[in-house]
Amino acid sequence: MSADRLIKFELSKLNVHLPERRLSLKEALSSAKPQVVSRDGSVHTFKREELEFLAGLLPEADRDKLQVPILIALEPKLGRGTARISGEAEVKVVSQVLEKELTAVELLIYRPEVAILRRKLPTTTQYLFLW
Amino acid sequence: MTIALAVSPTRMELLKLKQRVGLAQKGHDLLKEKMDALVIEFFEVLRRIQEARMKAFDQLSVAHRALSMGFAVVGTLETKQASKETKRELQVEISTRHIMGIAVPAVEVGEVERSALVRGYGLHMTSSVLDEASREFERALKLLIELAELEASAFAIVRELEKTKRRVNALEYILIPRLREALKFIMMRLDEMERENFTRLKRIKAMMEKRE
Repeated sequence: MSADRLIKFELSKLNVHLPERRLSLKEALSSAKPQVVSRDGSVHTFKREELEFLAGLLPEADRDKLQVPILIALEPKLGRGTARISGEAEVKVVSQVLEKELTAVELLIYRPEVAILRRKLPTTTQYLFLW
Repeated sequence: MTIALAVSPTRMELLKLKQRVGLAQKGHDLLKEKMDALVIEFFEVLRRIQEARMKAFDQLSVAHRALSMGFAVVGTLETKQASKETKRELQVEISTRHIMGIAVPAVEVGEVERSALVRGYGLHMTSSVLDEASREFERALKLLIELAELEASAFAIVRELEKTKRRVNALEYILIPRLREALKFIMMRLDEMERENFTRLKRIKAMMEKRE
């Protein structure tokens, strides 16, 4: 395999852990076994206590707006270690978890904050690699 | 260097090489991001391993203390006899979960603690001190299973980290420098050809002017 094909292959594998379809928090909470199927066919299960923690951070009306898993988008053009959180409800939740001021519909977070977010929400957040 | 000189110095090759450098750079940047994310995951698992290990060791020391009490109260021979009579079948379900595409084991264990009646040793020959020691060891067993799951996760993450690091290094120190070298060579060669052309034209012009 040539080097270019190898790189393309590696890039194609970067996001296979992402779900084919995300669930809203409301759907996940009402499901007996809250889980999503990833692109590689594996099953990703959410911890109920995490879902309940997220529900506690949002008003009831916003629970169908929040999509889980929350995507932590890593984009090299933002700079190394910088991640983007998109979506109104997602930004609201992440701002509260990280105790940051709520700004726009997009939030930029940095590596130490990513670590805190992953520690607090290990099953309801996932990395997304963008280029 | 040899690769850099093996390319044909054409504009087409230059365009192709520029695309290849772009792709390699993109791959390098993304794999580096992946590596950073894996490092975050690894340190998190490491932190949890430390906590789980502390808990397991504390529980084991409690269990050993209880066992020593058992030896003292029931007697060494009787305790050994009771341990031989004990039967245990533990239901452990091992599946996999994925962290960024890495399959890590997920161990689900049924109820480890059980009542003294089902442990298998005779109750009339032993004391409640021995029951307590057994209970403490069962608690320790549960913690040790959790610890094993975490350690296996750490190994899986480290293996992936190592693989990713090797790829990042190969791109950073071998492929990208070679491509840049080849790019530089073609650009220099094309510039040189342009200068040659320019000089040739200038010389022809001078010769024609002289002839007129």
